[in-house]
Amino acid sequence: MSDQILEQMSALLDGELPQDQIGLLVRRMERDTELKRAFGSYVLIGETLRAPGGITASRGFATQVQAVLDDACTALPASSGTHPARRAGWLKPAAAVAVAAGTAFAAVLLIRPGDQPGSSGVAAVADVDPVPTTIADFAAADSASPTPEQSQRLAGYLVAHSQFATPIGRRSVWTSVLAQDPGIARVAYETETAEGL
Amino acid sequence: MVSMPNFPPSDGSMESHETQDAIDRPGSGVEQSDLELVRRAQRGERGAFDLLVLRYQHKVVKLVARLLRDPTEAEDVAQESFVKAYRALGSFRGDSAFYTWMYRIAVNTARNAMASRQRRPIEYEGGLSEGEQSVMESRLRHTDTPEASALSEEIRATVNRAVEQLPEDLRTAIILREVEGLSYEEIAEAMECPVGTVRSRIFRAREAIDRSLKPLLD
Repeated sequence: MSDQILEQMSALLDGELPQDQIGLLVRRMERDTELKRAFGSYVLIGETLRAPGGITASRGFATQVQAVLDDACTALPASSGTHPARRAGWLKPAAAVAVAAGTAFAAVLLIRPGDQPGSSGVAAVADVDPVPTTIADFAAADSASPTPEQSQRLAGYLVAHSQFATPIGRRSVWTSVLAQDPGIARVAYETETAEGL
Repeated sequence: MVSMPNFPPSDGSMESHETQDAIDRPGSGVEQSDLELVRRAQRGERGAFDLLVLRYQHKVVKLVARLLRDPTEAEDVAQESFVKAYRALGSFRGDSAFYTWMYRIAVNTARNAMASRQRRPIEYEGGLSEGEQSVMESRLRHTDTPEASALSEEIRATVNRAVEQLPEDLRTAIILREVEGLSYEEIAEAMECPVGTVRSRIFRAREAIDRSLKPLLD
């Protein structure tokens, strides 16, 4: 225990130690009982000089308090400024919401529409078409032409959401869809004309 | 050069009433340092709270002893007060000084102890007057155990003797700090020396007194 450390401790007692040095000193004092003893002695010197003959705590009082705190395993809040009781108040509903959300998420993952009753989630996942993992797979997936049913659904989406698209983007998508399905070319033309007026 | 403060007479009548005000004044270094220790304790650093116990143990025991009028039970109640303070530390926001907050907890704990033991509580509205305090101190001294009184007297005598033997510059620095409650900057101004020198002098004075006191406390 160097004089430098003791001098820092003396300054801490007087509230004159820079804040950035307090943390290191506190951690050091936690391990060093002699340093703690000296701190207690400095406090006693001050009390005696200010109020000689007055009542003082007995030797070992602070150690007893520390032992009681250790035994009681008193838990402090991890974050500063949060009262344990207050924290417990909002913690319960938050935990309930988290459990409910987790359950719902698991249900979405494992149960798909169209699943037969009795079929397991694992089987449902195994039934899905294999996901393309190579460039060749992606090319094959792209080259597959959409069925008429799929094209019709896509055209329906375009009409429904056309008001949110930019004119250029809308035109390029229209062009590609119309090229594939002449059946909806008339509808598209009429929509564009109405917007242009 | 500042005039040398009078050293306390051996009858122990030196207590400066300005001292406590100066030491506990709002925003003082001690208050800021306490707040930093509280913040650290709130983050789970037990050592920081241990330092607060060490710093305020004598004040709290003295306060509780006054309220209970029974020094033998004062330490139990003071201990309970510190445990309560530790448990409630999360709710301390630093709006008041730590000791003011601790003081309220100690007063309430003492009141509860008196109520549960069917004692007559002392009327305690905003503190005792100067006269009441001195009467109470005197009563308490008489009801203290003989061993405790003897030790207390020996500590007082040892500290006074050690201070008398200090070189003048160290003695002045420690008296200005502990008795008059001046900050290092104020002491530096009064003693016409750098703040670092003040810090060193106060430390060396404490070390010298501690060396005298150590055999007594070991």
